[in-house]
Amino acid sequence: MDKIELGGKLIEIDEDGFIQDPDAWDEKVALDLAKTEAVDDMTEDHWKVVNYLREYYLEYNMAPMIRKVCKSTGFKLKEIYDLFPSGPAKGACKVAGLPKPTGCV
Amino acid sequence: MNLITITHKDGLAFDVRVRRRRIATDMSLAEGGQGKGFTPAELLAGGLGACMAMRVQAYCEERGYGGGDVSVSLAFEFLGKPKRIGAIVADIDLPAGFPEEEKEEVRRIAEAAVICETLRKPPHVDLDIQFDRNHQTDRKAVSA
Repeated sequence: MDKIELGGKLIEIDEDGFIQDPDAWDEKVALDLAKTEAVDDMTEDHWKVVNYLREYYLEYNMAPMIRKVCKSTGFKLKEIYDLFPSGPAKGACKVAGLPKPTGCV
Repeated sequence: MNLITITHKDGLAFDVRVRRRRIATDMSLAEGGQGKGFTPAELLAGGLGACMAMRVQAYCEERGYGGGDVSVSLAFEFLGKPKRIGAIVADIDLPAGFPEEEKEEVRRIAEAAVICETLRKPPHVDLDIQFDRNHQTDRKAVSA
């Protein structure tokens, strides 16, 4: 496992760039993670997805299924991929500081 | 039913050919390939999307909405042990002006698509393993 600087802190990440300690996440970390996912500006829509993922993870200790993300945020599948080109699992979950989802392609 | 042939290119890259058409397939870099083509899972999910899109497009044209295009956006998720596609999520976008009250009929049409029905009631995969007899013959000649 590597450690890189995110949000001004040294944080351990896996080979795909997912942070290993969800408690190390904060919004500054999210902004740096977003840059690794080709998201230079986190808009209100980006934060809506990220905050939903984070709340779901903290409650259920797992990432939600893709359809649940769509229904709960109100975004269509294509819109989520427009926001996070790597997709809800690889892209949005990473920015939200979740561990890599088991269903990750 | 035409013969579909899958032939090796290099690494994990294979060509899928049928009726003089060719699709490149490969695994992603993360999975040991070079990312030069569709992954098999992408082909499967893409095939489902195309099948549903064709049926819905035909339906729209029958109903007089042929001026617009149907499109499908798809994503899938893997499950482990054994690794398989565990969920496929598909959004179908209908042409402008298509009446909302026909939404459930469109859903029924899409779900009746051949590939969708096939995934619901998966076929038996009848596998035969074959050996390259020419190669075995050459080895015999060398050892003699």
